[in-house]
Amino acid sequence: MAARKQQIRKFTRPQILFHWVYASAWIVLVLTGTTFLWRPDPHGPAVGLGALLQGSVGQWLRLVHRVAAVVLMAAPLLWLALEPRRVLSELRELMIIRRNDIQYLLVAPLHYTFGRPPLPPQGKYNGGHKLNFWVVVLTFVGFVVSGITMWFFRGVVAAETFRLMLLIHNVCFWLGLGMGMLHIYLTVLHPFTRQALSAMISGFVDLKYATAEHSEWVEEQLRSGQAEVREAPAASGGSD
Amino acid sequence: MGRAATWETWKPDPGNPNQHVAMLVDTSECIGCKACEVACKQWNLNEARINQEPGTYQSHPHLDAQTWTLIRFVERTNDQGEVEWLFQKHNCMHCTEAGCVTACPTDALQYGNYGVVTLDQEKCIGCAYCEQACPFDAIHVDRNPFNPRAQKAGKCTLCYDRITAGMQPACVKTCPTDCIKFGDRDALIEWGRQRVEELKARGFKNANLYGVDQLGGLHELYVLLEPPEVYGLPANPKISTWTKLWKYAVQPLGKLAVGAGLFGLAVNWVAARRAFLQGQAAGHGESDHAAGQS
Ligand code: SF4
Ligand code: SF4
Ligand code: SF4
Repeated sequence: MAARKQQIRKFTRPQILFHWVYASAWIVLVLTGTTFLWRPDPHGPAVGLGALLQGSVGQWLRLVHRVAAVVLMAAPLLWLALEPRRVLSELRELMIIRRNDIQYLLVAPLHYTFGRPPLPPQGKYNGGHKLNFWVVVLTFVGFVVSGITMWFFRGVVAAETFRLMLLIHNVCFWLGLGMGMLHIYLTVLHPFTRQALSAMISGFVDLKYATAEHSEWVEEQLRSGQAEVREAPAASGGSD
Repeated sequence: MGRAATWETWKPDPGNPNQHVAMLVDTSECIGCKACEVACKQWNLNEARINQEPGTYQSHPHLDAQTWTLIRFVERTNDQGEVEWLFQKHNCMHCTEAGCVTACPTDALQYGNYGVVTLDQEKCIGCAYCEQACPFDAIHVDRNPFNPRAQKAGKCTLCYDRITAGMQPACVKTCPTDCIKFGDRDALIEWGRQRVEELKARGFKNANLYGVDQLGGLHELYVLLEPPEVYGLPANPKISTWTKLWKYAVQPLGKLAVGAGLFGLAVNWVAARRAFLQGQAAGHGESDHAAGQS
């Protein structure tokens, strides 16, 4: 198409900054955290990469893990400091799960595989975003509580508590990793939804796409006059 | 003296690493002199740590990364109303089912030859999972955030370096009353049972042999004068359910789920791409992806 496409702003700059600081820390934490997964059988040696992650290498990875943990914990505070009111309105938007969101979650697996049945109309965040939000929040709490206990309160809390914290940390790891994989897949690889990635880079997303995926939100934005619409810049914008 | 002659020349069979060795501490003969503690520090080049708590003769409050054996003093009033001390030489029990090995994510802790639980500090990453998984508080990692090289687990090695060279463990060698014995595990159990009978006959009616069955069999045995709990030893130690769930359920299931998930995403990508291209071919705009969407 020759005509420039219209884009609508979805995310603000501080929000984008927050997202990527959080995401970078999260990825570093996942990668360094895998250090602990290479010895499935205590009666045998470590397998695979495990042989390379021992001794001082593993000690450095643990250190990086803790630095990244601090970044991850600080990231939400950074966003809160930059635009507190928006954080609250976004949280309100994300927290509430409506009937539409449930319907969305029921239909989405089929829709994103076969292109049908159609999705119910969605607000700024669809059921999938909200699910992601809740998994992120709950695992964040789980990670932070168990992580801080293991980091600072080893020997202070009972050994049995430490063992439980280790278990919680690991449960959160798998939940978070599964959700994270899906999240990354949908925004980077999935043919239907990958154009949404531009919203987390430039802040803008293709208007037509937004109308298809988030009709309620786009209508409401246009009606209230809050919508920030622009023409897609020539060489950027994320949609290829 | 006869006992000394029996055990002091004993060596494990170099040709049979499946043979189980053990240490047996006859607490009825221990005088709490702590010579074993010193010998252990000296042989293993562990630094002296002066951290005795006031009001006790016990040298350290508990084992630590460089204190691998400790005479625990139990001060109590016995049935006759007399104040008495009980001594227990505490160190790693070299469990057959060891919490520390179960939790260790690296090759640092292993079930080694002769039933010894070996620790290779080169491989250790200092995570202290072992410390928290041990039911006996027998392995430790120093809290030293500024020195990664100090963050290594430390515990009794059963003097693996000595015994594989045909020597007795340092603490055994030094013990002035010969109350610590090193030898074939089965033979020591046999000896311990006889000793318990002997003690019972002499009026120590609570005497018992500890370590035969606990955690699949410990390689540290004790002839105790009182029930294990009196010494702070768990009568029925267990690897924590949380630790087992973590290692044997959540980790493997997680790996399986992530593998299955990746496969599912790949399948989804192939199918979704087909639907996407068909949608385009049917005249929908490239962003109007959904075939059924109005
Ligand atoms: S006593 Fe503790 S450190 Fe020793 S083998 Fe058993 S679990 Fe491991
Ligand atoms: S501190 Fe060392 S020995 Fe202990 S569990 Fe971690 S890696 Fe293994
Ligand atoms: S066997 Fe060796 S390492 Fe273990 S307590 Fe005795 S001297 Fe120390």
